[in-house]
Amino acid sequence: MLKVNCPHCGAEVVFRSAALPVRVCDYCQTTLIRSDEGVRQVGKAATLPFDVSPIQIGTRGRFEDQAFEVIGRVRWGWTDGSWNEWLLLFADDRHAWLGEAMGQFMLLAERPIEDLRDEKFQSLLQGKPVDVGTEARLDDETLIAADMRGASCIAAEGELPFTAVTGWSITSVDFRSASGRCASLQRDQEGAHFYDGRYVTLAELSPTNLRPIEGWRMPAHG
Amino acid sequence: MDDPAAGAPAAAVKALSCPSCGGAIEIKAAGYTVTIVCQYCSSVLDVANPDVRVITEYHEAAAALEIPPGTRGTLDGIEWEAIGYMRRSEGGSYPWDEYLLFNPYRGYRWLVTDGRGWSLGEMLTRTPEWSSPSGLFVGGERYEAFFRDTPAQVDYVLGEFYWRVAVGEEVVASTYVRPGWMLSREANGSEINWTLLRLLKPKEMSEAFGVDVPPRSRPPLPHQPSPYHGTIGKVATIGFATLGLLILLLILFSGRGPLLTERMTLPQTGQVQSATFGPITLDGAYQAVSIKARAPALDNAWVDLDYALVDRRTQVSYQAFGVAERYSGRDSEGSWTEGDRSSAIKMATVPAGIYDLVVDASATRWKTNPSAMIWGSAPRTGPEPIEVEIVASTGMTFLSNVIFAGFLILIPLGFMFFRHAAFETSRKGESDFSGTAAQDDEEDE
Repeated sequence: MLKVNCPHCGAEVVFRSAALPVRVCDYCQTTLIRSDEGVRQVGKAATLPFDVSPIQIGTRGRFEDQAFEVIGRVRWGWTDGSWNEWLLLFADDRHAWLGEAMGQFMLLAERPIEDLRDEKFQSLLQGKPVDVGTEARLDDETLIAADMRGASCIAAEGELPFTAVTGWSITSVDFRSASGRCASLQRDQEGAHFYDGRYVTLAELSPTNLRPIEGWRMPAHG
Repeated sequence: MDDPAAGAPAAAVKALSCPSCGGAIEIKAAGYTVTIVCQYCSSVLDVANPDVRVITEYHEAAAALEIPPGTRGTLDGIEWEAIGYMRRSEGGSYPWDEYLLFNPYRGYRWLVTDGRGWSLGEMLTRTPEWSSPSGLFVGGERYEAFFRDTPAQVDYVLGEFYWRVAVGEEVVASTYVRPGWMLSREANGSEINWTLLRLLKPKEMSEAFGVDVPPRSRPPLPHQPSPYHGTIGKVATIGFATLGLLILLLILFSGRGPLLTERMTLPQTGQVQSATFGPITLDGAYQAVSIKARAPALDNAWVDLDYALVDRRTQVSYQAFGVAERYSGRDSEGSWTEGDRSSAIKMATVPAGIYDLVVDASATRWKTNPSAMIWGSAPRTGPEPIEVEIVASTGMTFLSNVIFAGFLILIPLGFMFFRHAAFETSRKGESDFSGTAAQDDEEDE
């Protein structure tokens, strides 16, 4: 854990994991990058627009017997809406993403691009489009392309494995399967990242420290 | 964070002013909601971007909704707030209503009705598995194809939605059903969404949202379970169990041919003749004993028969009475006959033992035959004695009772099967995959 003062506003900021070199200052939204030379500013993130997500930085829970804490978020927008990707830091220092879109949650961890052998994935990696409903094989399971859309970063907060600059544009393709598995391929000019996981319900994560929302009874989990 | 005062609950709503009428609008699902329809002027607003702009304006009066936006109700112990409303149709025909429900901790659900009942829908996160062109599997349950690809459009919207809803927006919809459940597939160019809908009981819906639901819908909803289905199962179980028991009794009580065949000769004078036949050995714990008497030569006379089955050991006696009678004559309409030359009686449950059959029998001539007197044509038979054959056997008459009982059981069962079949025919009548619908299509062409 590294505690430094924000070079922009002087507030204390914390870097908890060496794998997560990016930190958005909680007070002035300055994006900071940690390196061997120290901490430097790379710009200012936009203020997050108001939403009623039940998740917040500091929400804790368990997934497959591993405790996690929510430590960061990227909010993505596309022409017809927006979604959140919450960064989960597990007790064993691994990290994963909790995607939150249309009231549904998916828990995804990054996998090497080399795992994608199916030619449909290869074609996507080469920058080609894919039709909704296209089937692609991964680990002996058939994944089906559920949607493909262009998205751009609206804002980010907390700790992150990469810099999420407002306006950063990606192409995102989501896959589903008959078993509840889901996967996402995110591509920009510089390359692609692949995330694999499954749909989860909030309840099965036994979350605590959910965000209180006025007028709504918080479910008793944990 | 949005919430500088740590610990205080986040506001549940975001307020904005309608750029069309200036009315104050509250967004309930801020961050998810893309489209909101102003409750005052019905303008459709785009709130995906920070600058709220008017997409289309509606100056029609807002429809008097069964569930006005903002209404909360509890289903399965979870509180939901109705935040959006859409009226949809197939190109203007077969309209139905969809209400969007929201709970910030639970996400979204749909309440769907076409006036015949309400269903609660949840978007599926898994893709169904195809089993055949007419069905598919979700979570191990099979769903039958019901409506094939039909265009579904949005005719009217009010409230807020998580996507950019627009009047006229069209998807291609298909429907699959199993009793109580419906699976809906909606596809447009960029997305395929599956929604699983559970048919709500009228009571659930009225308790949750104070909506009156017709208890019976005609024609039935595609996913309405047949009300006879469960009852048929119960009635059939009880019926067949009873029938099985009766057949078991029949086997236990049934006989193995006649126990005894004897003859008596009776003078036609009314004088009682007594005879004892036996022994009759009854092996079963209990059995029915039937005794038949037949007098082939009987004419214009009757035979009275008093039977007593007497246990040789205990002297317990089982008694019965029978009569055989036969009359004939001739009147203005021709010759006539009446009566039966034989008599059959049954003793229902006779215990095991060795018995004697004691028969007290008498034959009497019918002396005063008015028609014979008038027409003088009655055959004058002499006073020669009448021969009566007596046959005792076990069980056999019991069979007719079993058949009768079987009928009594099968009639209501058959009736219920008929009603069930009629319900299913009516339910499937609307399906694109039923025989009748296929015929309709041909007629249309």
